[in-house]
Amino acid sequence: MSSVFDVVFSSAFLAAALRVATPYLLAAFGGLVAERAGISNIALEGQMLAAACTGALVAGYSGSVALGALSGIAVATLLGLLLAALRLELGADAIIAGIGLNLLASGATAYAVYTLLDDKGGTSGLDSGTLPTVPLPGIESIPVLGDVLSGQNLITWLAFLTAPFVAWLFYRTTFGFHLRAVGEMPDAAASVGIPVRRVQYAGLALSGALAGLAGVFLSMGYVSFFVRDMTAGRGFIALAAVFLGGLRPWGVFLAALGFGAAEALAVQLGTLDVPPQLVSTIPYAMTLVALALYAWRRKRRGVGEATPASL
Amino acid sequence: MNESWHAAGPAVAARAVTKTYGNGVRAVRGVDLTVPPGEIRAVVGENGAGKSTLMKMFYGLEQPSSGEILIGGRPRTLRGPAAAIALGVGMVHQNLMLVPSFTVAQNVVLGVEPGRRGLVDARAAVEITARLAEEAGLAVDPKARIDEVSVGMRQRTEILKALHRRAKVLILDEPTAVLTPQETEDLFAAVRRLRDGGMTVLFISHKLREVREISDQVSVMRAGSLVGTVPTADATERSLAAMMVGRDLSLDVDRAAARRGEVTLRVRKLGYEAPTGQSLHRLSFDVAAGEIVGVAGIEGNGQSELAEILAGLRSPTAGTIHVGGTDTAGLGVAGHRRAGVGYVPEDRLHNGAALDESIADNLVVDRHDRPPLARRGVLHPKAVRAHAERLIDQYAIRTPDPSVPMRALSGGNVQKVIVARELSAGPRLLIASQVTRGVDIGAMRFMYERLVAARDDGAAVLLISADLTELLALSDRLLVLKEGLLVGRFDDTAGLTEKHVGLYMLGVEHHDDKHLTAGLAAGEEPTP
Amino acid sequence: MTSTLIETEDRREYRATRRRGLAVDLSMTLATVLAALAVGFLVILATGKDPVAAYEALLTGPLERSFRVGRWLEDATTLTLLGLSVAIPFRARQISLGAESQLYAGALAAATVAIFLPLPPVAAVVVPLVAAAAAGAGMGFVPGSMKARLGANEIVATLMLNAIVVRVYDYLVNGPLKEPGSSAVHSERVQQDSVLTPLTDWFGIPLGRSNVGLFLMLLTAVALWLLITRTPLGYRIRMTGANSDFAEYGGIRVPRAIEWSFVIGGAVAGLAGAHLVQGVYGRLEPGMAGSLAFEGIVVALLARNNPLVVVIAGLFYSYLRAGGDIMEQQTDVGTEIVVVIQAVIVLLVTAQALPDLLKRRIARKQAAQKQVGAR
Repeated sequence: MSSVFDVVFSSAFLAAALRVATPYLLAAFGGLVAERAGISNIALEGQMLAAACTGALVAGYSGSVALGALSGIAVATLLGLLLAALRLELGADAIIAGIGLNLLASGATAYAVYTLLDDKGGTSGLDSGTLPTVPLPGIESIPVLGDVLSGQNLITWLAFLTAPFVAWLFYRTTFGFHLRAVGEMPDAAASVGIPVRRVQYAGLALSGALAGLAGVFLSMGYVSFFVRDMTAGRGFIALAAVFLGGLRPWGVFLAALGFGAAEALAVQLGTLDVPPQLVSTIPYAMTLVALALYAWRRKRRGVGEATPASL
Repeated sequence: MNESWHAAGPAVAARAVTKTYGNGVRAVRGVDLTVPPGEIRAVVGENGAGKSTLMKMFYGLEQPSSGEILIGGRPRTLRGPAAAIALGVGMVHQNLMLVPSFTVAQNVVLGVEPGRRGLVDARAAVEITARLAEEAGLAVDPKARIDEVSVGMRQRTEILKALHRRAKVLILDEPTAVLTPQETEDLFAAVRRLRDGGMTVLFISHKLREVREISDQVSVMRAGSLVGTVPTADATERSLAAMMVGRDLSLDVDRAAARRGEVTLRVRKLGYEAPTGQSLHRLSFDVAAGEIVGVAGIEGNGQSELAEILAGLRSPTAGTIHVGGTDTAGLGVAGHRRAGVGYVPEDRLHNGAALDESIADNLVVDRHDRPPLARRGVLHPKAVRAHAERLIDQYAIRTPDPSVPMRALSGGNVQKVIVARELSAGPRLLIASQVTRGVDIGAMRFMYERLVAARDDGAAVLLISADLTELLALSDRLLVLKEGLLVGRFDDTAGLTEKHVGLYMLGVEHHDDKHLTAGLAAGEEPTP
Repeated sequence: MTSTLIETEDRREYRATRRRGLAVDLSMTLATVLAALAVGFLVILATGKDPVAAYEALLTGPLERSFRVGRWLEDATTLTLLGLSVAIPFRARQISLGAESQLYAGALAAATVAIFLPLPPVAAVVVPLVAAAAAGAGMGFVPGSMKARLGANEIVATLMLNAIVVRVYDYLVNGPLKEPGSSAVHSERVQQDSVLTPLTDWFGIPLGRSNVGLFLMLLTAVALWLLITRTPLGYRIRMTGANSDFAEYGGIRVPRAIEWSFVIGGAVAGLAGAHLVQGVYGRLEPGMAGSLAFEGIVVALLARNNPLVVVIAGLFYSYLRAGGDIMEQQTDVGTEIVVVIQAVIVLLVTAQALPDLLKRRIARKQAAQKQVGAR
């Protein structure tokens, strides 16, 4: 058993946990913003995938990592806007439209990669480069802390800054104020002259952009290539973190971090004699139990607390 | 933009305004209305008379199909509420437009937040709210969450919202429907104070007593048209009512004296602790076969809770209920229906019908699993259809076919489907809640006849209504609920006046326990 | 007395209106498919490939050889079962995304019985099927009762269950259930008596891995259609989906109806798993459902959750999938374009305001023409 503790408290594990949690954090905050705006963004998965693919391809062909990353984020943002348009202009069900967008992203990225590179698997034949890491001179040399914090990718830092950013956005700014009102009570927001649709479009664009940043991290963070369907369900897990976190910024932060840490643990334990597949089910089983407990408690209290209608 | 007001002109006006909806319904027909500044103008009319639609046009929520809306003496095109707000129009909606998880202060400033560079200054919001509340005499707790304060405070919050936007015109859409008498008094005092400060108030209501108390002039609407405007001092409730309905108010329903049979519904010491809404306390009463017992009360005094408990949709927390000898207190809805309870719910669109399903399917929800419709686990579509054809015929439901979805029917016709279903089950006890709300006069008369016929066939009928005239016309006996308590019981409704019952509804008078429980058999008392 | 347009129609008129409505719906569905194919055509064109050759392979390929027909039917069987499995909870307005976990649970149950339990001939086929349906139903019951009794979000619950079951399945196929002594990762073969008879044996022409599971699927579809339209339980599921407050008011136990919809859907998805084990692969293969579970949702949607229409949608959808593979073999256009076409279909189908928008525009045009005519 001591070996498990050795793993958990090793700096390699802690550094890996931060790295693995990065896409979960970003995508979960993307999901949170959309959820609070009143439109469930189940297309996080597709937005990440599209961004990952676009990022790697543009960076590979243009030679500019920054341009690649920005294009990836832009594509995901557009997908967010598309979801909003389908919901708001064409009366589509957000969940079903989201499933459609996920399919679209999965098919289009695979088709694009195959057509451009004649490769079924991904863009490993293309030299696209990675986003810079952030060395921390001074901290670098501190034994454990240095190994954990220094040399993390730029996007990992951004991911951890997202929590205070979203909290600030929600509770301090006029935009966040309007966004929450629109998501919770669209009629009330409309009756005081808040442009409900415009706020929702903005929310979904931000949601897509955050998912895009998560996607770009996947293909340009630690690896420098896109692999077909490389998001592997992370968008859905992020969505679970949104609900598990009770639709609150810091709750979502903890939930997403927990998912990341558990996954990192599963990978690290793979070196031991524990089946990694079984270890990696732990966070999902925990979510399931938490979901049941949360619902049970809410039911016992009789009234649900005010949550957006999409729940 | 308030500067663009024309000083001498009317505060708000409509000129030949007509509103026709996409489905061809004409809600407002050629209305001319002029309201001078600093006046409290009541606009009265029955449900569906077009009051709310007209107000929505003043507030930019609807646009007139033809004609002009004037605000501040000039013709305006209001593309949305934002435009109306900018011109100084504020509206307090019937269903309050507040964000439940926000505080009172946050709701007040929503849309016009204090602060700079895209940030909300939370402290300033609280200060503003407190100051406005102080000035207008509308007591609120700025820091309390909306979902944790009383309905009265929510409404005051709505008014403060309008004041924060520097409204010069305040539209109040049926503001007293949800208020206690005390809260109503406070509201009226605040409204008068606002008027004295130069505010123009449009007060929508169908409660004539309140209209006479608060307004300077009354405009009466009927079937989308403006019938006339009279100074309140010259109006009596009777004359206003005559204008509103265009018929003699006395709803003469042909009914013989009730032939009371055995007691069907026996309620003893019924108590209900509500997580939200009104609690009920120690209610005891009987309803016998062959009588209609009315339940009067200002809306929100426990009538909805009582109806849902008796129908099995909520469980009581104390006391006993017997329907024809069956103890129903612990049973679910299906058990209540088996015991012979029929229920016409107060909000037919919420739970009275499945709008996207066919009339035929809507008519069988309580009997889809038994003969003749279903045998040995098989549901027979032909039998369902035949069943529907029969009821459509018997209840004069207007439709070309039983497969028509409910959504395609008008309000009165939907209600007929519901009444047909509940009465055709042959209920021992029928709970009829707001049966005629929002239906036209033809359908209304039809409902009355059916209720009386059901009574004469031996059903016990508990009639719950917000319309006192209706209650007095139909009830053989009358009970009055106030704040979840039984406060009045009239065993003979002959000669009973609305005014007299109103005193009980408002809590001015009440019967003592002895009178309320006189003659109730004690046999079913729960042993303590 | 005010009344609506439909109320004033007479019966003959109404039937005509309804027929027209049906025709509009049908042509809208066709138009949707054509529009999606057109998008695919343009994408192929835009990427500098020959769309005509590609579409020829896509649209005629699956019928050119008998074993390709078999490939199509085998795929359609699994896909349609999965579509049926979500159509039932969808009818109760429950967004169950759990077909994947239910399928793998069914596959594991079927395989365990069919590999390890010696059974007489007929029982050897039937018992694994029943075990699979039961396992799938159990897997449906978990999120179903969480939703029905506690109000827990079914989307999250089913996604979590998927994540768990997929990993457990992966572990079992790589570990305890792996064929001993084999270098490939898969289970032992099922016993010969448990195999669903290949259609090749019946018709005497090579029909690939397609098997009598096809008829099982058709039977299931008819049974579910009867369930929805001809049984009290089906009625309860429909009313729960249409307006659960109304259902409760009418005396229907809504939680039970919701649970049943999940359980029935789960059983059908379990059968899909059994079909893969006993019919298609003859054993457990890693990740053998691929993306079929999610595509089942698309099929159900396209069919508006009508079990009989799900069959047609499933056959159509699988036809595209089979055609896509042939297109990739014969031309340089990737089969992924089919997924893009499918996605466009989903997006168009869910854009509910679109047909209304069109209808309104047509109505406006007609009204305008009438006015012109009147002058």
